[in-house]
Amino acid sequence: MTAALCQDAATAVLAANLQLTRGSFTLDVQLTLAPGEVLALLGPNGSGKSTVLDLLAGLATPDTGTVTLDGVTLTASGRLVAPENRTIGLLGQEPLLFPHLSARANVAFAFRVGGARLKTAEARVQADRWLDRVGLAGLGSSLPGALSGGQQQRVALARALAAGPRVLLLDEPMAALDAETAPFIRQLIREQLSETGTSAIIVTHDIVDAVVLAHRVAVLHHGALIDEGTTAAVLAAPQNPFVAALAGVNLVVGTAQNGGVVAPDGRTFWVRPADAAALSPTTPASAALGAEAAAAVFRPASVVVHTVQPRHASPRNVWSARVTGIEPGTGGVRLRTSGDPEIIAELTPAAVADLGLQVGLTVWLSVKATDVSAYRR
Amino acid sequence: MIPRLLYLPASIGLALLVLPLAGLLFKVDWPRLPSLLLSPEALQPLGLSLATASVSTLLCLLFGVPLAVVIARSRPRVAGLLRALVTVPLVLPPLVGGIALLSLLGRGGVLGSTLELVGLRIPFTTAAVVLAQTFVALPFLVIAVEGALRTAGTRYERVAATLGAHRGTVFARITLPLVGPGLLAGTVLSFARALGEFGATALFAGNQAGVTRTMPLAIYTAFNGSGVTTDQAVALSLLLIAVAVIILVLVGTRRASVLS
Repeated sequence: MTAALCQDAATAVLAANLQLTRGSFTLDVQLTLAPGEVLALLGPNGSGKSTVLDLLAGLATPDTGTVTLDGVTLTASGRLVAPENRTIGLLGQEPLLFPHLSARANVAFAFRVGGARLKTAEARVQADRWLDRVGLAGLGSSLPGALSGGQQQRVALARALAAGPRVLLLDEPMAALDAETAPFIRQLIREQLSETGTSAIIVTHDIVDAVVLAHRVAVLHHGALIDEGTTAAVLAAPQNPFVAALAGVNLVVGTAQNGGVVAPDGRTFWVRPADAAALSPTTPASAALGAEAAAAVFRPASVVVHTVQPRHASPRNVWSARVTGIEPGTGGVRLRTSGDPEIIAELTPAAVADLGLQVGLTVWLSVKATDVSAYRR
Repeated sequence: MIPRLLYLPASIGLALLVLPLAGLLFKVDWPRLPSLLLSPEALQPLGLSLATASVSTLLCLLFGVPLAVVIARSRPRVAGLLRALVTVPLVLPPLVGGIALLSLLGRGGVLGSTLELVGLRIPFTTAAVVLAQTFVALPFLVIAVEGALRTAGTRYERVAATLGAHRGTVFARITLPLVGPGLLAGTVLSFARALGEFGATALFAGNQAGVTRTMPLAIYTAFNGSGVTTDQAVALSLLLIAVAVIILVLVGTRRASVLS
C-alpha cells in the first residue's frame, strides 16, 4: 500500500496531503493528479471544496500536510512557496478581470508575469491570439465592464491558461453563468484543457461538469474524501445522500454516433436536436478518429414505463428491460431496470400498483429524445 | 422619496456653508483687488503656501500610501489600533499638534536637543511649515486610501498572484490602479488641508514673512495687523477660495474622464 502510494505520488503532477481544523470544521484530504488528468471534486456546500483549492494554490496554509508539484515540495509544515511561484492557476466562479485593464491587457498581464515572461509587445500579440481561441476576436480593447458575464469568463479562462499553469484549479467556473451560456463555457474549458494538456481540478456540485470535463471524480463530504473513481462508477453506487441526489439522473456514458449516444450494451439513446449537432463529427479529422466519447443525461421522471410494447408511439427511445429493483425515491417510487448502464424510472406509487410492477418483470421503457441532453466528453 | 420636513434643515445647513462665502464677496474691494492680489504681500505667501503644501502632499503620498496598505492588510485588532493612532491628529485641535511638534523637535525637546547637537534646527523654518502641514494632512490621505483598499479587497490581488505576479508587480499594476479614485480623493483632501493649515504652523513654525508666512498666516496678519485694512485679508481669502475651487474643478473633470 505504501509502495503503491509512493509510486502514485512519483508519477503524479500534483500530490497533496492536507489537514486543517477551523472551529468545528476538520479537513483531512489526500489526493493526486496524473499528467493531463482532470479531477472533479464534488461535494455539497460547506464540504471544504474551495478550502482544498486555496490550500493547493498557496492562498491558505494547512495545519499539517504537504503539497508537491512535479516532485517539488510547495507546502510542508507551513507554506514554503508563495502562490506567485507555484505555477498553479485558479479560475473561480467570478471572472475577476482586472476592471481597469482591457480584455487584451488582462490576458497580456498573464503572459508578462506568468511562465512565459513575455515583453509587452509580444504579450499583446499572444493575448490577441488567445482571445481569438476563446471566440472573442475583435473584443480585445473592451473593458471588462462592457463584456457579458460569459464573455468575461472566456477572458478569465484565456488569462488563466496564458500564465502557463502546470495545474489549473477551477472553482465552480459555470456557477455564475446563465443556463444558456454555461454549456458553451463548459465545452470551451474542455477543449482548451485538452489542447493545452493542462492538468486540472474542478470543484463543482453540478454532475454535468463532472461528466463533461473530468476523467475522475472524488467526493468530499464534511472535509473528507468519501468516494473516488470514474464518474460512471461513483454515480452507479452512491455512497452518500449527496452523491445519490447527484446521481438522481440517468447517465449513459458511451460513444457519439449519428447524433445519438451508444451505450456500452449497444442501445442507442437519441438526444434532443440542439445537442445532436454537437455529437456529430465536428471536423473530417475527428470523424476519421472514429467514435467520440459522449454522455447522455435524462431524468428518471422522463422515463415512461409500459407493460406491453408501445406501438405508433412518438418517443424515439423505446426499449425493453427487466425490472431489477423497486425502491422508494425522493419523487415517488424508483424502478431500477436492467442494462449497462441500468436505467432508473420514477413513477407514482399508484402507477406501480396499477401496472402490477414487480422485480423480474419485463417492461417496455420510452423516453422522448427532447428530454435527453447530451455532452461530448 | 424625501420627507418634506427634511428640506428646511437641509436649506439651513446649505446656507450656513454658502452664505459666509457669499458675504465675503460683498466685502471685496473689487476696484483695488488686482493691485491687492499682485502685491508682494499676497504673492509671496501664495507661492510659499503652494510650494509647502505640494511638498507636504508628496510626503503624505510617500509615507501615507504604504501606511494605508499596512493598516488595510493587517489583522482586525492591529488594524484597529493603527487606525486609532492615525486618527488622533485628525481630531486634535491643530494648536495642540503645534505644541506636540514643539515638544518633540523644539529647543530642549526630546529629539530637538539631539538634532541641535548636529546643528539641525527645525522649528521656525520652512521645513517646520512642511512638517506641521504633513502632520495635519497625513490622516486624511491614510484614511481615504485605506478605505479604498478595504473596499477593493484582496480578490484581484490573489488572482494576480496565482497568475505568477510578484508582490511589487501586483501593488503597482493592480492594487494602486484599483484604489485610484480613493487615492485621488485622499491627495486632494490632504493638499487642501495642508493649504489651509494655520494652528500648528503658527506655533511650530512662526510667522516670518517669506520663510513661514503661508496664506492663512498672511490673512491673519493682515486682519490683525496695525495700520493694515481688512481689505488685504479679504482679498487673500478670496484667493485661497479660488485656488480650492480650481483644484476641485480640475479633479472633478479628471475623475469624470476616468469614469467615461
